Amino acid sequence: MVALQLFVNGIVTGCALGVVAISFSLIYSTLRIFHVAHAGIYTMGGYVAYSLVMHGVPDILALLLAMVAAAMAGAAIQVLLYQRLAARKGTHLVVLIASLGLLAVIQNLLAAIYSANILQFPGAWSGEIVNLGDGIRLTKVQFLTVIVCILAYIGMMLFAHRTLLGKRIRAVASNPFLAEITRLRPQAVYVYVIAIASAVVCLPGVLVPYDLGLQPYGGVTPLLTATIAMIAGGVGSITGAFLLSVAISVVQNLSLLVMPGEWSIGVTFFVFVIFMLFRPTGLFAAR
Amino acid sequence: MDFLLSYLVLAEIYVLLGLSTNLLVGIVGIFSVSQAAVFGVGAYIVAFFLMNTSVSFLPALAVAAICCVVLNIVVTLPSLRVSGDYFVVTSFGIQLLATAVFTNWTGGTGGANGLPGIPPPDVFGIQLASNAQLALLTSIMAGLGCIAFWLLMRAPFGRLLRAIREDELAVAAAGKNVLRAKVSAAALAGAFAGVSGGLYATFLSFIDPSSFDLDASILLLTMVVVGGARTLAGSILGPFVLLALPQLLSLVEIPTTIAAAARQLVYGLLLIVFMLFRPQGLLGEKL
Repeated sequence: MVALQLFVNGIVTGCALGVVAISFSLIYSTLRIFHVAHAGIYTMGGYVAYSLVMHGVPDILALLLAMVAAAMAGAAIQVLLYQRLAARKGTHLVVLIASLGLLAVIQNLLAAIYSANILQFPGAWSGEIVNLGDGIRLTKVQFLTVIVCILAYIGMMLFAHRTLLGKRIRAVASNPFLAEITRLRPQAVYVYVIAIASAVVCLPGVLVPYDLGLQPYGGVTPLLTATIAMIAGGVGSITGAFLLSVAISVVQNLSLLVMPGEWSIGVTFFVFVIFMLFRPTGLFAAR
Repeated sequence: MDFLLSYLVLAEIYVLLGLSTNLLVGIVGIFSVSQAAVFGVGAYIVAFFLMNTSVSFLPALAVAAICCVVLNIVVTLPSLRVSGDYFVVTSFGIQLLATAVFTNWTGGTGGANGLPGIPPPDVFGIQLASNAQLALLTSIMAGLGCIAFWLLMRAPFGRLLRAIREDELAVAAAGKNVLRAKVSAAALAGAFAGVSGGLYATFLSFIDPSSFDLDASILLLTMVVVGGARTLAGSILGPFVLLALPQLLSLVEIPTTIAAAARQLVYGLLLIVFMLFRPQGLLGEKL
């Protein structure tokens, strides 16, 4: 019984993580940047929504506005930071250090404004229980998280394979040089990609804190788990990233049966080491 | 005077730690945000031996160094199979895992409350209690570290490490053993971090997980980047500049509640600004 509840909880967290993994994977496979600051965007989205809700904005509108804000922040990061670093021929290491610096800036800015304490969203509806039968219970917001995140996954699949911009992004990702000479304008695509990914990551970025509360330094662990899922799923594979996120979360939740929750990061990391040793290209490797 | 001495001691401890980070990040080009974790392991081991056994300081320091050598090699190993960004994941994972262990293993580390009352170091039967004596000890240690680093950079092995950073494939093609070189560098970096951790624990006589978390790793990276990566002079200058910074910040009126966040914010900003405008730092080589 407990196991089943933990399994369901794992699916909830996994779906949320899956969207983080998809959005990170979109950036990573297109820009080839290990965008650590994505964790900051994830956290920032939650805080923007929180501020708006506290000022009386309806929840749905707050979510949408947070997505817009995150998209703009993401585009700004690309134009003001990554593009300039690329123009200066910054090495991979330089970009990575800058991204880490940006993460520190975002997190601590949030901590300075909102304090480092955990903040709870107001809103009575989110705590209401949905009974799935057999005593398996979810809160309404958890239920919503699963639906929204699965829709986001389907949406991203359709976007990448059916729309013109999605195809353009995949073209740039697979060969930036060829994309340049066929006038697909990679630089513009990069801005779109990071804006879209930043907006999408706000879905879990807002919904998860709605359930568990906001914390300025809370983005690093989800991002790490999501990156591990992305690598284990095979870089470039949307489905792989999503499925592995769910799988890792389920394993993590089931591990609570045998060990306390503080060590769940250890479980995640163990999964990563296993993949590194036996299948470093991931399960759904594109090439 | 006493204040200056303690500043000197702390800076010299960070010089040793900076050398460790510089060796990995600057010289070999392995991005690492887990050096603070290794530093912490060294600190906790020395604290354990001095508080619970009759082992004196130098043997305890040696044990800490050996443990950190082994730890750093183990940390580096999974990522030797696959290079680049996978190490970032490993590194973040190790850092978060170490923080979890430091915080939750209350039996060994005192948990979040930390370990108070670590006795001062004793060398050949002499208790080093005053700051002047400690300054002498850390000066000798940091001096030895600097000489070792300088000799290493002049030696063929140093050139091999730098060659690996520039073009790993070419080095392997030239018949050099890349794996062995990387493992040796990781081992040396581990020894430096372990020794500085031991010095840190005995100097402050109190350690808690907050000195060894991700923020500490970011501070460390900032020290190396601001001082200048890849050079000995940079690793020496960086800690002195960065440790003076909080004193400067205290001149500005900042509420104490956000002082820590503000400090960390400045470190992040420094990382970004230096990456954008002076990636080589104050006294470094091109990164």
